[in-house]
Amino acid sequence: MKDIARQSMSIKVESMDLLNGQIKMEAHASATYLAMASWCEQNGFFTSAKFFFKQAEEEREHMMKIFNFLVDTGGNPISPEVTDINHDYSSIVDVFESTLEHEVKVTQSIHNIVKKAREMGDIATERFLDWFVMEQVEEENTIRDILDMIEVTGTEGVGLQMIDNQVANWID
Amino acid sequence: MNVVFQSTYYTLYQANNERCFYIDFGQKTVRMSLCQLLSLRHKLMSIAIENHFDSDLNSHGFEVLMLCNKEHLFVLNTLEILDLKKLVDHGFMEIGISAKTVAIV
Ligand SMILES: [Fe+2]
Ligand SMILES: [Fe+2]
Repeated sequence: MKDIARQSMSIKVESMDLLNGQIKMEAHASATYLAMASWCEQNGFFTSAKFFFKQAEEEREHMMKIFNFLVDTGGNPISPEVTDINHDYSSIVDVFESTLEHEVKVTQSIHNIVKKAREMGDIATERFLDWFVMEQVEEENTIRDILDMIEVTGTEGVGLQMIDNQVANWID
Repeated sequence: MNVVFQSTYYTLYQANNERCFYIDFGQKTVRMSLCQLLSLRHKLMSIAIENHFDSDLNSHGFEVLMLCNKEHLFVLNTLEILDLKKLVDHGFMEIGISAKTVAIV
């Protein structure tokens, strides 16, 4: 039999499923950061709001990168359904702690796809994810640095406003 | 046309000269590109088959499947859905873009 399917699609369907899952996760991250931006705006943390608006945009770019990879490989990219976006945070510290938690989950998910792709011998998918692996190292590091800054600054008195002002250092 | 896989109710064919696939559904045969086959696979994966066993969630145990950009409409029962899932699952293994192997399943 002629390899019609392989000629039209260059990755495995299982990789495609995992990448569609990751598209959903990036979309969820984008929507979550938008919710955080909203919270920051409403609670007077205007610099942090700017930071999260930018994060939301970046996560959408991540999503599109994967979406376009599925287009390029002849797969079936699925526009994600995004539900369950949390808008409630107890403090600005809670916002950044949730961000780190979220980023760690994203990192784990990407590592999982890399491992599965490796098991399947899907070299294209594995190599495609190289960029994401390094991007996650950077993203986690940024949030950890901000949490360290919060720790040093302290949340007493004018601390909270100082924290917000200093977030500007991580908006480039 | 070559037979790719035959399940209890359905048969998947590959047409080399047309570079496409056909599924014989019994009452009719539907021509499908790989994209349309991928889309069928996605629709089948999105079906919550466990709802068929809960009379509140799916009281009649039917699924409405629209294929090939709304060109075809099928109403399938639980067994037919399970059988179609099997056809698509094995079909993708046979046409060589699934990492699963026939031996495992
Ligand atoms: Fe991301
Ligand atoms: Fe991120």
